[in-house]
Amino acid sequence: MTTTTTTDLYSDDPQWVDVTPIPQYDGINPVAPILYTDEYKDATDYFRGVLKSGEKSERVLELTERVIRMNPAHYTAWQYRYQTILALGTPLDEEITLMNDIAMDHLKTYQVWHHRRLILTQTKQAAQELAFLVKVLGLDNKNYHTWAYRQWILSHFSDDDLWRHELEFVDSMLRDDIRNNSAWHHRFFVLFEAGVRAGDEDREALARQEILYSKERISLAPNNASAWNYLRGVLDRSGTEYSSLAGFVEPYAGLPGPTASDADTIDTENPAPQPGARLPSVAALEFMADVYEKQGGERLADARKLWTSLAREHDTIRQKYWEYRSTAAGKL
Amino acid sequence: MFSSPSTPQLQRPGHVRHCKYCLFGLPGTQVGLDASRLAIVFYCIGTLDLLGLLDSGSKPHEREEWRRWIWEQYVVSEHGAGFRPGPFVVTAVDGEDKSRSTNAHDTPHIIMTYTAVISLSILQDDLKRLDKKQLLSFLRSCQREDGSFSTIPGSTDSDLRTTYCAFAIFKMLDDWSGIDIPRAVSYIQRCRSYEGGYGQYPWNEAQGGTTYTALASLYMIPEAVQSSLRPQARLTDVERAQSVRWLVQQQTEAGGFSGRTGKEADACYCFWCSASLDILGAGHLVDESAVIGFMGQCQFKFGGIAKAPGEDAADPYHTYLSLAALSLGTARGATLPDESWKLEPLNPLLNARTSVAEWAQAKMSNAQ
Repeated sequence: MTTTTTTDLYSDDPQWVDVTPIPQYDGINPVAPILYTDEYKDATDYFRGVLKSGEKSERVLELTERVIRMNPAHYTAWQYRYQTILALGTPLDEEITLMNDIAMDHLKTYQVWHHRRLILTQTKQAAQELAFLVKVLGLDNKNYHTWAYRQWILSHFSDDDLWRHELEFVDSMLRDDIRNNSAWHHRFFVLFEAGVRAGDEDREALARQEILYSKERISLAPNNASAWNYLRGVLDRSGTEYSSLAGFVEPYAGLPGPTASDADTIDTENPAPQPGARLPSVAALEFMADVYEKQGGERLADARKLWTSLAREHDTIRQKYWEYRSTAAGKL
Repeated sequence: MFSSPSTPQLQRPGHVRHCKYCLFGLPGTQVGLDASRLAIVFYCIGTLDLLGLLDSGSKPHEREEWRRWIWEQYVVSEHGAGFRPGPFVVTAVDGEDKSRSTNAHDTPHIIMTYTAVISLSILQDDLKRLDKKQLLSFLRSCQREDGSFSTIPGSTDSDLRTTYCAFAIFKMLDDWSGIDIPRAVSYIQRCRSYEGGYGQYPWNEAQGGTTYTALASLYMIPEAVQSSLRPQARLTDVERAQSVRWLVQQQTEAGGFSGRTGKEADACYCFWCSASLDILGAGHLVDESAVIGFMGQCQFKFGGIAKAPGEDAADPYHTYLSLAALSLGTARGATLPDESWKLEPLNPLLNARTSVAEWAQAKMSNAQ
């Protein structure tokens, strides 16, 4: 692994004396010019020199690393680095080690992850990536690029060993943060979007399992939009009627459920809200209104009652939306 | 209940000042923008334009300098012509020709080309220097096997942002020849998530910005092509209802929109989400006064608009997109706290002031 200290300038380095640096041409009156540091100006002057000469060498790897560390969004430095790696036959595991370090510092930069995809396309060492990503998500559990990269790894290399522990991984992410929508999304991706895994061939059983999973999570946090959206996703994907969940949802909407009188029996299929939960839950009201709307006829009035309570009391920021739902109902 | 007892005025002079400072120069800490300078220039000029202060807030010679600098980024490469982000990999020295690629990596960039064309249209450039054939061949060279577009020729770096910018250029050119539209549409559709939004790549989490780029792309496709696509490019009634639901769900108690379910509101998503709603014919569902109240709090004391209340800096990106969101709100008839909040109307598909979008389309569709 190369190391650089940004205080040494290439212009002072005798080893670079054979490269002609090319200063940036910025026009007669540059617009939005960046007041570069001396180190950045120096490194990019030499980088332009290298671009012109076409040199691909060990020292170019060091140069591109220096540019990238100062500006990880410098896509040409990345692209040139990748070409140099291929030309030199640089060991790709070393590159990944270096990238682990750079990724940790620049999680939100596109190029960091794009470069990694390119390297992985060559090495195909996908298994260790999943472990690395667990570490990265420990720093930022909703980092978009990291999740996107994990989804790419799984779908691109798609072998059973890779997938084997994915559900456990999602479970642990959701245990840590039940409101992490990225993890909920990933769960849907794993179970419903990316092919059928061994053991998951019975899609109806899988849907039942996931409906129960959602219910349990909703009972822990009834106002968690991510869990409700996931539940809706599972229902939509499996073609399950929303009305089949009415008995579960009603207590969360503050409505008397059909079995409300049997408060003493514990229904494991329909976990009840926890004492002290903030109810009614907006998502539950919305859900029940959807159920009533679908049933139509006289139930439309019940739907409208719920939309009105959302608009006026429970979810006033979406007042216009709930009023629109009420107006549009029955017209489609 | 949202209440805004004392929404401040829109700090117009401050926002103009912020953008003009950025056009004048950016501190070294902003070096991460080196490979996207043209986009920053667009956000700055666009801010002046949306405020209706381009003419009074800048001098003719300044606008001329901006125009010339943007044209200096126009580059003809072996893959066709477009705009580069800035001179960061130009290897010509003084006196040498910079209008042609100065090395294999000195190529046009799709996102920068879109921002350049809009910026030049704001500056009322006649766009006569654009070589339509070369521009189309550049865009074609970026379409990949999976239907997506790479940012630069020969790269595998592609996502929905690039598709959007390419489609916006086709729309302005009124010429889609040589593009595989069905394949591009299928790529976009693969990015749709169960929540009703779109992710950045297939299988990714629904996100406000990429949802905008997906929807705007799908709704820019010409009518004649739309009608022949199977499955259709535009959303079905069920999909539309689901997308509208997800989009309105992103408006948070803080008044602004979040980019993903359960995240904090961020000024830029006020544009991405509400423009998406406009595209779906549901812009009237936005709680406008909540957005305005949120924006009022995002205004930075030294000018510009920050991504969220309490942030310690503003930037041209959030400033422009906030104003773009307010423009859409003005057009929808939002009740404004005072006249300072009234902005010029915006074309939600091209993300440019209506008359700028018309200018760009008129000039580009006539380009040779």
